[in-house]
Amino acid sequence: MMSRLVILSANSLKGSGPFGAGLVHASRSLHTSSQSRAPVPPLPETGGKVRHGIFPEEIFQLLYPKTGVTGPYMLGTGLITYLLSKELYVINNETLSAICIFSVIIYGVKKFGPSVAAFADKLNEEKLAKAQEVKDLAMSGLTQAIENEKKEQWRVEGRAMLFDAKRNNVAMLLETNYRERLHMVTNEIKRRLDYQIALQHLNRRLEQEHMINWVEKSVIGSITPQQEKESIAKCIADLKMLAKNTQAKATV
Amino acid sequence: MTMNLFNQFLSPTFLGLPLIAIALMAPCLLYPSPAPWWQSNRWMTLQNWFIGSFIKQIFSPINTKGHSWALLLATLMVFLITLNTLGLLPYTFTPTTQLSLNMAFAVPLWLATVIMGFRNSPTHALGHLLPEGTPTPLVPILIIIESISLLIRPLALGVRLTANLTAGHLLIQLVSSAAFSLLLSQTTAASLAVGLLLLLTILEIAVAMIQAYVFVLLLSLYLQENV
Repeated sequence: MMSRLVILSANSLKGSGPFGAGLVHASRSLHTSSQSRAPVPPLPETGGKVRHGIFPEEIFQLLYPKTGVTGPYMLGTGLITYLLSKELYVINNETLSAICIFSVIIYGVKKFGPSVAAFADKLNEEKLAKAQEVKDLAMSGLTQAIENEKKEQWRVEGRAMLFDAKRNNVAMLLETNYRERLHMVTNEIKRRLDYQIALQHLNRRLEQEHMINWVEKSVIGSITPQQEKESIAKCIADLKMLAKNTQAKATV
Repeated sequence: MTMNLFNQFLSPTFLGLPLIAIALMAPCLLYPSPAPWWQSNRWMTLQNWFIGSFIKQIFSPINTKGHSWALLLATLMVFLITLNTLGLLPYTFTPTTQLSLNMAFAVPLWLATVIMGFRNSPTHALGHLLPEGTPTPLVPILIIIESISLLIRPLALGVRLTANLTAGHLLIQLVSSAAFSLLLSQTTAASLAVGLLLLLTILEIAVAMIQAYVFVLLLSLYLQENV
């Protein structure tokens, strides 16, 4: 009995819970025809046109060829007059309450209709905007990914330069290392050779000194005391002669 | 004349067939059904928004276990509001003026909440019969009073709805018949009566919606107590 109301309540609560998807799939088994929904024909943007809020425009168009513009209004007036005159519709207290309630309804619709419609449109717009935002976010994310990929490709091209620079670096390091080691080796060899030279010098000097000492010793040993006396006398005689010579030179 | 006033509340039959069945089933044809496309039209959007915000508001103080009642209470609310407001149109029958219908809604739903409460946590449910901080001498009397108030709830629910709507319809009939009978002889008095009728109509629209809301709100409160 309230099944249709339940359905409409259920449909509005459909998003929540596990029942939503299940209902749709359960009813799939009852589909017998293979109708497909794509491509969907475009839906009309606005509803059917009405005049005075209730009467569809089609009635006016229907009667226009035969009765012109005033046709439907004459029809309405005639109908009401007929009902009233034949007392098919009796004016009683309910008529008054009908006038009251309909005036309240019409006033409400005229006053709050546009704002309620704008509110409903806003709700729909928000729903659309949310979905659009998701789509836009996905698209911007993908374009960003494409740009990043292109940048990475550009970076890959510069890889060769990087390798060259690194290679140069390494060669320089090796060269420096080699030269350092060469230097070190040279220094070591020179030190060893210097040592040998110093050794030789030392040896030579020792030999010389030794020889000089020996020569002196032997010379001193070979001077006899008589020779020493004779040499001293000779020296004195030489000295006297020299003194005489200088004296003679001085007086002259 | 007095008999006439209550004729509007007689359950309509036609050739022995109860027309109340049609009166109960027909209003749901007025509501839009969801379309298979993604964005619905204005009616559907408004209906979704209304039911969504109503359920969010009603069920925010209830814990998750009670949320299984959401569909039932949403349906009940939509049903009652439709019946009440459609009954304000002229020459219509309002099923919710029948006590039998309202009791048929109130008693099972209230009883369901009570049985649920006593089954799941009987001590907690019995504890509701004694408010906190009562002085000891008052305890026996208070328990009796609280249990009477518990048992009277379905009666109150049903009768509240019936009485409000019946009274409203009766008043509309009275004032409109007064205005109608005075219309030709004392026109100024009749115009005053028509003014009164306008205000009364606005009040009745409000009462119709509020009574439906109060019915569902009280049921949700009973649910919150017992779940």
